[in-house]
Amino acid sequence: MINDFEFTQPRDVSEALEALAEKGRVMPVAGGTNVLVNMKRAPLETDLLVDLTRLEALEPILSDNGRIRLGAGVTFARLLEWRPGGAVEGLMGPMCVAFAGPLIRNLATVGGNLCDASAAADASPPLLALDACVELESATGGSRTLPLPAFFQGVRKTARRATELVTGIEFSKPEDDERWFYYKLGKRKADAISIVSIAMTVKLAGGKVERARIALGAVAPFAMRVPEAEGILQGEPLNDSTIAAAAATAARESRPIDDFRATGAYRRQMVEALVKRGLNEVARRGK
Amino acid sequence: MKKQTLSFTLNDQAESIEIAPRTRLLDALRVDLGLTGAKEGCGTGDCGSCTVLLDGKAVNSCMILALQAEGRDVTTIEGLGKPGSLHPIQQAMIRSGGIQCGFCTPGMVLSLKGLLDQNPRPDEAAVRVAISSNLCRCTGYSKILDAAKTVIDGRMPPGAADGNDGAVGSRMARTDALEKVTGRAVYAEDVQLPRMIYGALVRSPHAHAKLLSIDTSAARQLPGVKAIVTGRDVEMGYYGYEVRDQRVFALEKVRFVGEPIAAVAATTPDIAREAASKVKAEYEELPAVFDPEEALSMGAPLVHDDVNVYEFDWESERKGNLCYKIEIGEGDVDKGFEEADQVIEGSYETPEAHPGAIEPHSSTAMVDSSGRATIWTTTQKPFAFRSYLAAALKRPLSSFKIIPTHIGGGFGGKLFPCLEPYAVLLAERSGLPVQMTLTREEEMGATLLRHPSKVELKTGVKRDGALVAQRVRMLFNTGAFGPYGPNTAALASLMASGPYRIPNLEITGLIAYTNNVPNGSIRCPSGPQMAFAVETHLEKVARAVGMDGLAFRLKNAWEDGDTTCTGQALDAVSVKECLQKAADAVEWGEPRTPGVGKGLACNWWVSGTWGTQTLIETNEDGTFRLISGCVDMGTGGMTTSVLQMAADGLGVPVESIQLVRGDTDTLPWDHGHGGSRMVFTIARSAYEAAKNLKQQLLKEGADYLEASVDDMALENGQVFVRGDASHSMPLAKICYNRHKKHGGPMIGVSSVLDDAPATTKAHPIGGLPAPSFCAHAVELTADEETGEIAVTRYAAAHDVGKVINPTGCEGQVEGGVAMGLGLALMEELREVNGKVLNPSFADYLLLTAEDMPPLKTILVERPASEGPFGAKGVGEPPIAPPTGALANALAEAMDVNVERLPLTPEEVVSLIGARRS
Repeated sequence: MINDFEFTQPRDVSEALEALAEKGRVMPVAGGTNVLVNMKRAPLETDLLVDLTRLEALEPILSDNGRIRLGAGVTFARLLEWRPGGAVEGLMGPMCVAFAGPLIRNLATVGGNLCDASAAADASPPLLALDACVELESATGGSRTLPLPAFFQGVRKTARRATELVTGIEFSKPEDDERWFYYKLGKRKADAISIVSIAMTVKLAGGKVERARIALGAVAPFAMRVPEAEGILQGEPLNDSTIAAAAATAARESRPIDDFRATGAYRRQMVEALVKRGLNEVARRGK
Repeated sequence: MKKQTLSFTLNDQAESIEIAPRTRLLDALRVDLGLTGAKEGCGTGDCGSCTVLLDGKAVNSCMILALQAEGRDVTTIEGLGKPGSLHPIQQAMIRSGGIQCGFCTPGMVLSLKGLLDQNPRPDEAAVRVAISSNLCRCTGYSKILDAAKTVIDGRMPPGAADGNDGAVGSRMARTDALEKVTGRAVYAEDVQLPRMIYGALVRSPHAHAKLLSIDTSAARQLPGVKAIVTGRDVEMGYYGYEVRDQRVFALEKVRFVGEPIAAVAATTPDIAREAASKVKAEYEELPAVFDPEEALSMGAPLVHDDVNVYEFDWESERKGNLCYKIEIGEGDVDKGFEEADQVIEGSYETPEAHPGAIEPHSSTAMVDSSGRATIWTTTQKPFAFRSYLAAALKRPLSSFKIIPTHIGGGFGGKLFPCLEPYAVLLAERSGLPVQMTLTREEEMGATLLRHPSKVELKTGVKRDGALVAQRVRMLFNTGAFGPYGPNTAALASLMASGPYRIPNLEITGLIAYTNNVPNGSIRCPSGPQMAFAVETHLEKVARAVGMDGLAFRLKNAWEDGDTTCTGQALDAVSVKECLQKAADAVEWGEPRTPGVGKGLACNWWVSGTWGTQTLIETNEDGTFRLISGCVDMGTGGMTTSVLQMAADGLGVPVESIQLVRGDTDTLPWDHGHGGSRMVFTIARSAYEAAKNLKQQLLKEGADYLEASVDDMALENGQVFVRGDASHSMPLAKICYNRHKKHGGPMIGVSSVLDDAPATTKAHPIGGLPAPSFCAHAVELTADEETGEIAVTRYAAAHDVGKVINPTGCEGQVEGGVAMGLGLALMEELREVNGKVLNPSFADYLLLTAEDMPPLKTILVERPASEGPFGAKGVGEPPIAPPTGALANALAEAMDVNVERLPLTPEEVVSLIGARRS
């Protein structure tokens, strides 16, 4: 019950990396909206808490040469104000609106949301649909980037090593004709944990799907893409039969559990319904 | 543990303190800096009552470590405005009636400030978003949105409270609004005493088990532990409401997950909880029973070995797990079914629900050298708590002094002792003041809840829609103990016919013990459950005979002279008027659009009463003190209507009457706040006391002026001979003379305890005084694929007899509708094997400001024949009809049969899957 740890507030990334490399148990904290919930329930398993809220280097949103880079410390409130247009705004905007509530949005960071790696983490599906990579740095190992699917490894488990800091999230800016769909299904309008969330980007060329990325939240131990469903669409036109096949496949690929928010069966049914709805909307938007 | 230095700007002042790194900003503010305006409702970022501004942005101070605020700018409610120089948002909250219990108010105000500082002219949608993290259980957000609009538009909304015009019928602002909106109001957890330590409970992890032994040795060794107490160290008696079946600690066996087996006190809350986790108990698990039908069947595990050993006030068959049974009827139901053209059956279920007050239970106890305990606590019934404690701890009533603090939402959840006995025992053993506060998890997982229900109905109807017979079987699961089970069943039996004429009735109510968390008497106990069952079922009956829901209800609804199932003859019946007005507000008669459903439901309810006494005493300057032992759980009746009626009775301005806050040592006895009794009972008593005092004042004036008392009048601060202004005397002088020359103040006294209206049949509750009536109408759509419901219009028509304070009445209706919609749409505590799976505000969902639909409140005034002004109760009834109205609208929109709540997206999809053909 007793939380006994030291606290340090590094002023820059290199100080933070050094702190993370210290002996003993070390835990980074950004917005704190998961760490403090955990701390309320049981003592934090750490000897040193490294506060990331002063790392200005983690705060910018950069757009350069067709690549977008979100600093890991960007808050959801800040993301909500961001106007990148197109598929990025189309996915991230409604995701931010649906993310927790305004109080939490003022604190929680996109990096923290990914690192917490909850199955229902709201930032994950849009970033998976944007094919984002996570940048990790450490004091001794330099930096590396991992695609999100490789970053997520299990229930609240990521590939981040204890000495590593997630510094940013990067993805290619989709082309202007990229289509998208986002939906979060929860039990109330605001501040709801998702039952199912879905984000997709689809590139059509000559009436056929050149590439589809469909990402799902809250229907597996961590947010996931549905490669088989995406594969079904590849090179095909979006019509009732391809859409139905992709939706059914996505539902099969999902691995939802029963909990008090919903049964697995309902979640799977919703995956099918929402993939169908999304693809129909994507198809319609072209006409 | 090493402390670290925090330097930051707090409310424009530089502040520097030494704190442990684990300290949350909320704790630093409340404990280290003594600023208790920020409240802890959950500690997990789900309620918003701890909101502060961090560099101008609204954030949860429970989600930030204090050290993270290093160098930053923090604004709390204490830094916003002070009495005399309030921020416009604070002024608007007071004047619009956006404050009820006040627990969410500081956070709400700061969230609004965070928004308006960034965007001075947001639209209503943006305001709803901005306060969507701030849960309010009292207001339904309507008047908070009004307050925001006031500030944004820079003007008062029409009809808003303008100062303290205290006439009966005026929108007088509540007199405790100022202390609440500035964060100064003291709630139970804000109480801080020198050398105070903290308590925690050790709870059973098993639903049903023999308690073999308790080993406290490891806990005792923890540094900082000051006292540990178990059931073996205490002389315990049984306590309860109608049935006394509970003791403060489990002794031979535990009966539910979360039942206290020991209590620990230590120098900090963390150490107390750590010590509690080190108390080791040995159990031998017993077969448990969770389903109430199963509990009543032969051979079920017995929750209590012999229910007949407990003291019980009412007559009832009691055996096995049957806690209580009530039967009442009229005519011959079987004959009625034979005469009917159609007989329709249905079964309806509602889940366990939490009252949902944002303030968790908290109590602080101190024991003096004579062994007498003083207890600061959040209670709706301070006087009853003395007797519960006396019974539980086998001591004289006079051993306890209860000081009721402000209540951060009651809703029936604070009608029964929770932490008080443990705080007393620990204070006694440690010799120190002890504070105990439930975590949100304990609050949701182990306090008294709303009874889950299963109601089976069989109804006979004539081809023309006339109801002829109804058989109702109601089964309520009361959990391991039944403090309010019998009362719930007895009330439900009165609601089993709805407000309809049904000549043949057969009603059976059963209360079953199980190994679930015990249930209590939550706002409108049985009301939402019965309104759901009866109104959903009768809609089905109307459909069966091809009748429109409104026409069917109007045909069968009670009128003056009709009788209830107990034979109580009714007057001032307004069901039809309420129905028609609610229906009109959603354009009931208009042709329906496919996919859009409209639904109606109505209800009736009790107004008070139980005993009370009010004193009004003169001050020597001609002002008055109003002294009542009734507390106000947040609704505001005490700080508006009671004063308004007292002022009317005296004929003086309301500002000249001060409401006394006191304790059980100094105030006159009262039953407590509940049962929609504040206006009907307390304000009436205040009015009678005022008239009594006025008579004394006139007599005193008559004696001075050598006139007949019958010729005297009191107006504008003068007592005078009617028609002769030269013969007058200032009120102040009369009072002064009396105080200084004739032995003290004049006191007007009134005790109220109504004789219940006559009934022709025996019933434990008997006749209901001044029944109130209401009807709700709703329009909604539902997503065919996902099952999400969107409520597009809502109207609530309530007969309150006479509106004493429109702002207060509307506030009760708006907040009640929000609660009822929550029960209909999302509120459900799910227990599996007796363990609550969702004990948090993240997973037990209350409506947010974004979920609250546009609401039209219609106040109907059909005065009751009892009492002055004819006012009826309004606190409880608004939460009942939303369940039935929603179900009926959904049934119409999606062509489905609704049989259980809540109507979550998944439930709606499953209904669509099983769509009626």
